[in-house]
Amino acid sequence: MKKNINIIGCILATFILVACSKDFLEYEPEGVLSNENVATAENAEALVIAAYAGIGNDEMIGPLTHMWVYGSVRSDDAYKGGGGRGDVGEIDKYEQYNLTVPDMGDFMAPRTWTDFYKAISRANFALSVINEIPDAEYADKTIRQAELRFLRAHSHFMLKLLFKKIPYITEGLSAEEIALTSNDVDNDALWNTIADDFLFAYNNLPQAQDQVGRADKNAAAAYLAKLRLYQAYEQNDTHQVTNINASRLQEVIDYADDVTGALEADYGNNYLDGFDNGPESIWAVQFSINDGTTVGRVSYVTGLNSPHGTPLYGCCGFHLASQNMVNAFKTDANGLPLLDTFNDTNIFNTINNEGKAPLASGITLDPRIDHTVGIPGRPFKYRNTVNEAGDMIYNFSWARDPGVYGYFGNMKEQQAPDCSCYVKEGPFVGTSKNIDFIRYADVLLFKAEALIQLGQVDAGIAIINQIRTRAKASTQRQIDAGASNVYIVGMYPMGMSKPDAFKALMFERRLEFGMEGPRFFDLVRWGMAEPVLNAYLAVEKTRKDFLTNAQFTAGRDEYYPIPQREIDFTGGLYLQNPGY
Amino acid sequence: MKTTKFLFILFLLLPVCIWAQGIEVSGNVVSVDDNMPLGGVTVQVQNTNKGVITDFDGNYVLENVDENATLIFSFIGFKTQEIQIDGRSSIDVLMVVDAASLDEIVVTGYGKERKVDITGAITVVDLAPVEGQSLSSGNAMQALQGRVPGLFVEKSGDPTGLNSKILIRGVTTLGNNDPLYVIDGVPTKRQEVFASLNPDVIESIQILKDASASSLYGSRAANGVIVVTTKSGSKGERLTVSINSNISVQSEKNQRYDMLNSQQRGEALWRASVNDGADPTGGYGEIYNFDWNGDFNNPVLNGVTVQPFVGGDPNVPAGDTDWQDATYEKGYVFNNEVTVSASSEKSSLLINLGYLKNTGMLKYTNYDRYTAKINGSTKLFNDKLKFGVNTQFSTSDETLATPDVGSAPTPGLAITLAPTIPVYDANGDFAGPLGAGYSDRNNPVLMQYLNRWDNAEKNNFFGSVYAELQILENLTFRSTLGIDFSDFKKKDIETKVSNGFITRSNNRLIYDTNKFSSLVFSNVLNYNLEFGESKFGAILGIESVREDFDTVFAQADDFAVESESYFVLNAATGARTTNGLSTQYSLFSQFGKLNYSYADKYLATFTLRRDGSSRFGKNNRYGVFPAATVGWKISNEDFFPEEGIVSDLKVRVGYGEVGNQEIGNVARFGLYEARYGQNQAQLTGGFFEIYYNVGTAYDINGNDTGNLPSGFVSTQAENPDLKWETTKEWNYGVDFSLFNNAVIGSFDYFSRETSDILTTPPIPSVLGEGQQRVLNGATTKTNGWELALNYSKSISNDFSFGVSTNFGAFKDEITFLPADVLAGFPGTADNSILGHSQFSIFGYKTDGLFQSQAEVDAHPNGGVQTNNARPGGIKFVDLNNDGKINGDDRDFIGNTLPDLEYGIRIDLTYKKIDFSVFGSGVAGRIGTDPYIFWNNFVQGRDNAAPGVLNAWTPNNTSSDIPSLSLVNNIGGDNDYVYRKNSYFKLRTMQLGYSFPEDLISKWAGMTGLRVYCQGENLFWFTPKDYIGSDPERIDVNRIPVPTTLSVGLNINF
Repeated sequence: MKKNINIIGCILATFILVACSKDFLEYEPEGVLSNENVATAENAEALVIAAYAGIGNDEMIGPLTHMWVYGSVRSDDAYKGGGGRGDVGEIDKYEQYNLTVPDMGDFMAPRTWTDFYKAISRANFALSVINEIPDAEYADKTIRQAELRFLRAHSHFMLKLLFKKIPYITEGLSAEEIALTSNDVDNDALWNTIADDFLFAYNNLPQAQDQVGRADKNAAAAYLAKLRLYQAYEQNDTHQVTNINASRLQEVIDYADDVTGALEADYGNNYLDGFDNGPESIWAVQFSINDGTTVGRVSYVTGLNSPHGTPLYGCCGFHLASQNMVNAFKTDANGLPLLDTFNDTNIFNTINNEGKAPLASGITLDPRIDHTVGIPGRPFKYRNTVNEAGDMIYNFSWARDPGVYGYFGNMKEQQAPDCSCYVKEGPFVGTSKNIDFIRYADVLLFKAEALIQLGQVDAGIAIINQIRTRAKASTQRQIDAGASNVYIVGMYPMGMSKPDAFKALMFERRLEFGMEGPRFFDLVRWGMAEPVLNAYLAVEKTRKDFLTNAQFTAGRDEYYPIPQREIDFTGGLYLQNPGY
Repeated sequence: MKTTKFLFILFLLLPVCIWAQGIEVSGNVVSVDDNMPLGGVTVQVQNTNKGVITDFDGNYVLENVDENATLIFSFIGFKTQEIQIDGRSSIDVLMVVDAASLDEIVVTGYGKERKVDITGAITVVDLAPVEGQSLSSGNAMQALQGRVPGLFVEKSGDPTGLNSKILIRGVTTLGNNDPLYVIDGVPTKRQEVFASLNPDVIESIQILKDASASSLYGSRAANGVIVVTTKSGSKGERLTVSINSNISVQSEKNQRYDMLNSQQRGEALWRASVNDGADPTGGYGEIYNFDWNGDFNNPVLNGVTVQPFVGGDPNVPAGDTDWQDATYEKGYVFNNEVTVSASSEKSSLLINLGYLKNTGMLKYTNYDRYTAKINGSTKLFNDKLKFGVNTQFSTSDETLATPDVGSAPTPGLAITLAPTIPVYDANGDFAGPLGAGYSDRNNPVLMQYLNRWDNAEKNNFFGSVYAELQILENLTFRSTLGIDFSDFKKKDIETKVSNGFITRSNNRLIYDTNKFSSLVFSNVLNYNLEFGESKFGAILGIESVREDFDTVFAQADDFAVESESYFVLNAATGARTTNGLSTQYSLFSQFGKLNYSYADKYLATFTLRRDGSSRFGKNNRYGVFPAATVGWKISNEDFFPEEGIVSDLKVRVGYGEVGNQEIGNVARFGLYEARYGQNQAQLTGGFFEIYYNVGTAYDINGNDTGNLPSGFVSTQAENPDLKWETTKEWNYGVDFSLFNNAVIGSFDYFSRETSDILTTPPIPSVLGEGQQRVLNGATTKTNGWELALNYSKSISNDFSFGVSTNFGAFKDEITFLPADVLAGFPGTADNSILGHSQFSIFGYKTDGLFQSQAEVDAHPNGGVQTNNARPGGIKFVDLNNDGKINGDDRDFIGNTLPDLEYGIRIDLTYKKIDFSVFGSGVAGRIGTDPYIFWNNFVQGRDNAAPGVLNAWTPNNTSSDIPSLSLVNNIGGDNDYVYRKNSYFKLRTMQLGYSFPEDLISKWAGMTGLRVYCQGENLFWFTPKDYIGSDPERIDVNRIPVPTTLSVGLNINF
């Protein structure tokens, strides 16, 4: 019985012990940080890194870093490609313009909206922490604040190009205040709000930083030049250009002059591994490989765009050059582009039984075509060989759906398969090649555009010729890989009329940035989207019947609709863009 | 044992001594259920006080009985039988289990009570029909589907047999609606534990449905409780062995989608291309040769022929593949269990071993499971202290459906892949897509083959040790230490792939492992008292639960050799990454229960539980949840007519409150994580999300490689005020039996309100990354009723039959949502989800097809109409009549949960033959019919189904299938794709034969032998609108629920 009592005693003791144990319900989360222990001076630098990571956190269906969907396919540069119109049909709807609607699920524009605001929130959180650190305790405080405001402005700028009317979110706002921030802001005022952040960066950053991935004064100046250029073309509520503001254009010139940089010796260096952060790269997103991350911190944003029909690459044959784009690279006997007649005849439009598209004799080209477009029979990515002779010669068989989209591939966003920067994850290819947001060539042409608009035509043409001179010199790699030398690049004469010079500028931007994405935004800036794109469609639909019903509607299709779900989630707060 | 035996002998002897006159009658009493002798059966001579009780071997002797008298055999849990002696001296009796036995003892929340005294909404599952049945899924839940009013079960055809959804009384909350399982007193939320119980070891199952019944189980019981008691040992002092064995063959042929053959697909693609204004040769000229007139205005197709080679490759002759036929094969299930049980005076022991093998219908899938259960107990100190242990082990190994190189699962590919791709090329290698016109999807047979080494191993241990001390005669104390443990290890080997134009040039090994453990410690005092006509019971207890969960994820690239044995992490030479997390939570509860009954007429129960959860902050940590029920057994009143239609009648009313804390362990905190290099797929899964870096590391130095500096990111916003969600429920029930217990039934009506619902609403994107938070943000109301009706009748000793039916209906609506939560639900500011079910579909209404361009021009355009504004296109209704179609034209178009669930079962017994048929169904719901996607639309890269051959054209205007297009198809939320998908399914049909005892007793002392055959999912009925194969097939990326044929046998020794 005594034993019994002992047992009972033991059980009861446990009973009471558990009942009294107050700590039993205390639990601190494991492996994570709370607001208090993350918002410290020690973590400030790490929070800035996280904010930088934010601008590169994108993927194929929510692009932040490459505008191939929004700026290239949506322009006269390129077709969607892929396996027929239904393959990632969202892009098809953008490409047709008139099928874009506010409620399109989660792919593409709505996801890009979300992801840019994620990036903005990272910058704002880091700012709110750093603002509280006493200056004395943090030597780099102002610099980091300036970098973060630069990052925040970058994301807002990109959003503005896509959606026009966007809520501008700054640090220190409560969740309630953010949710009540309207997008119904005056267009010019919104430009100035974004510019204020860039100005803070411009005024507080060193000209260059030791860590090349960081924003510096140079990048801020370039961005201000870009922003003031867009701002100069004043738009009304239906996106039509109503005035070109001369003082803004002068700012473009001034900021451009503040930018230190140089053109790469060879145009192709901009699109090759090994030239990241070179003299022409003014502001870029950094990618890396074999870095301990799960699938590599590489750019998958163009992961759908690899040549499809060769085992050297992966899936899925998206983003294909239009016939119009290919035709644009023709040059006349003087080596100048055929500004008005380039699209009257097609080149590379027949395929022989070797899967090559021979160039009719007598045709001359701007060499940038072989940096931009995959053309059957011509070396791809300046190479002849990876495994066996000729296996890098682009072939008709590399195209996925030639009956619908033709066979002209994209080249700039590809790297050779034996590059240490190249990774194939599942069917998709990523690379550690950085993506430039602003190259020095861009800055030069911003300035040229401003100069020409301000009537300083010769000064503008001189810059264009500077760009063309470099293009002319960018032939060696292609020829070494076996490309036929059909290149002629000439210089524009001085003394052109302002309209002709502006036409030359527009054309030069297209050639220089072919398929890199700025084309659509350029057209909208100039107020030329409707005439240029409908003229393009009128001819292109006779070549590619998938464009049969495509139509650009002025006053609507210049911008994406505000995603319906964002309007729903804010209880109808946001103003929808006109026409949707 | 000695004392009880002595008593029995005494009982036996007493009548012998006193009434030694008349004839002697003797015999043996056996349970028909398991052919085991029944000791303790009362054998009484009618209209006398003469009687005996059978001994342990079921034998009885009655002396000096009138040869014309009638004997009454009665025993708790069995039907009472009256048998006339008719001068016989030997009468053997088979006792039949009384399914609706009114004296059944029910385990209800840390204690026991008689079923007749239950006052809450509790369904005691009738297990008799389940015993001896083949559970081809290897999941005990199969035994419950359609049998319990208010229980809704949904599953797939995965060989694991796990369920995708288990709902008791519909949905209570917005998040997790899984019920709580309490198995031998140990709670768990994991359905795997319940699923791995072999039917032979289950003593009883109760479903506690309303809050008054479940309240005692506290915080995790808000979605209902499934209480399971397992068997403890044999009855009587003997060793028994039972063997259940069955073999099933499974086929998904009836559940397949009828798809087009090669040539038919060409016709559909031609029509769709031409309608889009595109030359079909442009898109599909590499697959088909189209012979047509080239006139887009008046297109005429003369013929379509398939190009001889895929992608022009002479090694790959075009096929006419039925991919479902190629990907699936017959599956076989072998399900065996052996139970050995023994008892002695002080101790009892049960050992159950089971082995289940499912060879899988999808090629190269497989499921093996071993289970073992040991229950034992012994008594000490003059039986004052009972020690026991209940354990359950299971170990399983599964290889399931796999995704292809581009993450598309093979069951979907078996439907969608183009028929022109052959399974094998001319060299006998697996063929794949090649050339233009094909999707970037792989041959599903190849993908299953390449992933044949993948597997997931699950080891589960579940059990408890307990001690029960009888402190006083009426006072016991029970202390239970339970553990619920699982170890999960998934191995995914991704070999190199070269399949048509799709290649994967690297290989990889991924280990995804986790460990879960839950430790439950409960201590309960139980007190019973009877005085006069009053019975009084009290329970007082405390319980603590601690759960731990840890994960380790490791992957490595580049293996020199692709053999199963070489894929070990150490063998990799390429990049490697690891991830993992740890989390924990604890619950502490105190509870009490009072029972009172008077004169077996008036019943009352009161319970109170206080729960503390580590998931809530200090100020809101504890919730107090009371419940009370009253019952009135009207039929026990003196005024109640004894000879009426109604033999038993009980009414009951209950009210209860239950808490819910089904949120993340750290939901209340504002959290930041160092996410070095995670991708979104690791957080949410997804196809493109693998390529979506969400990390905080960045190559700020521009080094391009190596270790990166990294930061922190917000992953969740803080809500320190997070508190318990509470459900308040009223339940009104009536239990009755009619016509001398021939009809037994019960009806319950309930009304439930759940408030402060824990929800994580979607937020506007401007709030930024990781800003979602868990809120107490909604109130829902649910009303419903349940009815169970059973009818049984014995026509003669040889023939009896029974019919049991059950019905359950409920309607839920959201009655309150805070403004910021409201925006995250379907609906708009003007037309919100308030007043609608949380399973409502908010979408567009359609009104047939446009018949002419004039009709198109006259109809409002915009929004979703934009892509369909063409003759033969779907017409969307301009609900607000504003002349345009946009988001404001959406409305609530239906609800995906059924209004009514019902089941019916018929049992017939004729001599040694038994037959049963069981079916169940749902009514009053809508759902997407995935087949519409292929039957009513042409997807450019997928195969299509025959409906598209009858699509609208100017010459075929009566079709409801829109004019074909490769691009202008509709998806999303509208009443064209959401259709009524009610059904009634014949779930099982079984025919059995039991061998006569006199024959089998010669076979090694066998006491029972029954053979049976059984069919499952034999046929079903669906509404006219429903065109898919099986309304339970709602996810085409899962293996369909098969039709199964089984044969089996039950042997008892």
